[in-house]
Amino acid sequence: METRALGDTGQESTVLTFGSIALNWLEQEGANQLVELVLDHGVNHFDVAPTYGDAELKLGPKLRQYRDDIFLSCKTQKREYEGAARKIDRSLDRLGIDTIDLYQIHGLEYEDELDTITADGGALDAIHEAKAAGKIDHIGLTSHGNPELILDAIDRIDDLETVMFPLNPVVAGKNDGEYDYEAVLERCESEGIGTLGIKAFAKGSWPPTDELAEADRPYANWYEPVDTPETVRERFDFAAAQGLDTVVSPGDPKLVAMVLDAASRSEGMDEARQRAVIEEARHDDSPVPEQLHH
Amino acid sequence: MSVDDVPETVTAALADQQVEGRVCLEAGAGVGNTTAGLLAAGAERVYAVTNDADHAVTVRERVGDGNADRLVVIEADLRATPLATDGVDLVTAHGLCNVLPPVELDPIAAELTRVAKPDSRLVVDDYGVPPSGAAVNRLFTLENAAARVVDGRPALTFYPPAVLAAVFAEHGWTVERKKTLLDPVPWTGAHLDAHAEVVRGYADRLPDVVGEPLTAMAEDLVAAIGSERTGTMYNLAFRLAD
Ligand SMILES: C[S@@+](CC[C@H](N)C(=O)[O-])C[C@H]1O[C@@H](n2cnc3c(N)ncnc32)[C@H](O)[C@@H]1O
Repeated sequence: METRALGDTGQESTVLTFGSIALNWLEQEGANQLVELVLDHGVNHFDVAPTYGDAELKLGPKLRQYRDDIFLSCKTQKREYEGAARKIDRSLDRLGIDTIDLYQIHGLEYEDELDTITADGGALDAIHEAKAAGKIDHIGLTSHGNPELILDAIDRIDDLETVMFPLNPVVAGKNDGEYDYEAVLERCESEGIGTLGIKAFAKGSWPPTDELAEADRPYANWYEPVDTPETVRERFDFAAAQGLDTVVSPGDPKLVAMVLDAASRSEGMDEARQRAVIEEARHDDSPVPEQLHH
Repeated sequence: MSVDDVPETVTAALADQQVEGRVCLEAGAGVGNTTAGLLAAGAERVYAVTNDADHAVTVRERVGDGNADRLVVIEADLRATPLATDGVDLVTAHGLCNVLPPVELDPIAAELTRVAKPDSRLVVDDYGVPPSGAAVNRLFTLENAAARVVDGRPALTFYPPAVLAAVFAEHGWTVERKKTLLDPVPWTGAHLDAHAEVVRGYADRLPDVVGEPLTAMAEDLVAAIGSERTGTMYNLAFRLAD
């Protein structure tokens, strides 16, 4: 599988990152098998979080067995020193390893969170301390919030090395600032910050729960995913073609094999096709009066 | 709707054009996609010309806000516009030619050339001829049949890029670049509905005994096709001789 430099971290990540949340829905034996499958496809970057149920625990055994082959990223939703320091130790403990390769401030949504994180006694202090102690290697951020806020975080966190954010044809077709993750991508490229794409496989929101109960959803994703080999492949190729360093696989274990296949066989996507995919998505929910043309 | 919502096709077609500070003519304004793109790219002025009164209203509503000093919507025939000779730096014809019957191509090319300054630029975006097996051809054929009965002219003609290049070459334009905007073209349910709506418009002007089956056929075709990815949309960038 193709690898790309993860910004200036020195890490060469496969263009597909395994979203280890998928392990949460499997028994340990199944989790081990899935990790083996992922490694067999050459994937060398795994992403996990303490909030993904048992995913850290289930990843642990195989992670330890193949520790040198896996670049591991983890996250914290804690915004203050105490909480973040505790989460780092807890994740190290649950994963059973000494160092997390990339530790990310997870799910940044509001400006005041950024204030807390960067203030004295904020999460960033704990992360810096852990880095000095060798518990983590690189510092990152994840957000599906306002792109402006992400740009702000890049300005305010000097040693930020990666950013994880949503990118798919629906997002790319929206030109208003609220969805301008392309600006984030450009900024990251120009500053040597690594980029990880999420929601690449999102088709849309789930129907309201009175129409489809949460328990009846066919996939364990937060959004309704694309789920045919062709659409999965198209979404992967699209995301990879935008220039992301790596694309995170979807959260449902049933989709992982299909995504691995897509990533292994990817031959890129030319611009005319990227535009076609964006335009198709844009017309699906366009407020513009009915149009004959593109 | 605002100048923010510019399709990728338009953005790609204009990407390597000098638009900022230029006087532009959008030939065949439609619902204003390219007008929006030109304004967003900093055009000094955009003359948006259409012969359709509803389109003129739509364009004003969509992109008029905040652009009163830069946007001039003109209802006129492109074969004879009220624009001054040699006044325009950049002409755009995005999705225009496919709605023109062959006999209109040359007079419109002549008029666009008249209003363009020496050394100006022309951007022509249009569809390649859809592959013969494409399902959308059935809807387009029906649309053309209805148009011929009512207006005595086709609604749609797909010109290969070499044909349009030759038409404009007659008037002194040289192709500087060709690019593929869409491959494949995504004909979504919304596009097909819009084409069925055109058939309905023609059917309304015919006796029910002809009009009703025409409309029903269009609706059936839309349902049967659903959506289709087929063909290409291309972009030609021309320069006018000094
Ligand atoms: C398909 S639309 C073009 C789409 C538009 N350029 C855009 O970017 O959204 C074609 C337009 O050309 C106009 N048109 C067609 N023939 C014309 C003519 N002979 N003179 C003036 N306008 C014409 C139609 O009324 C319509 O507004």
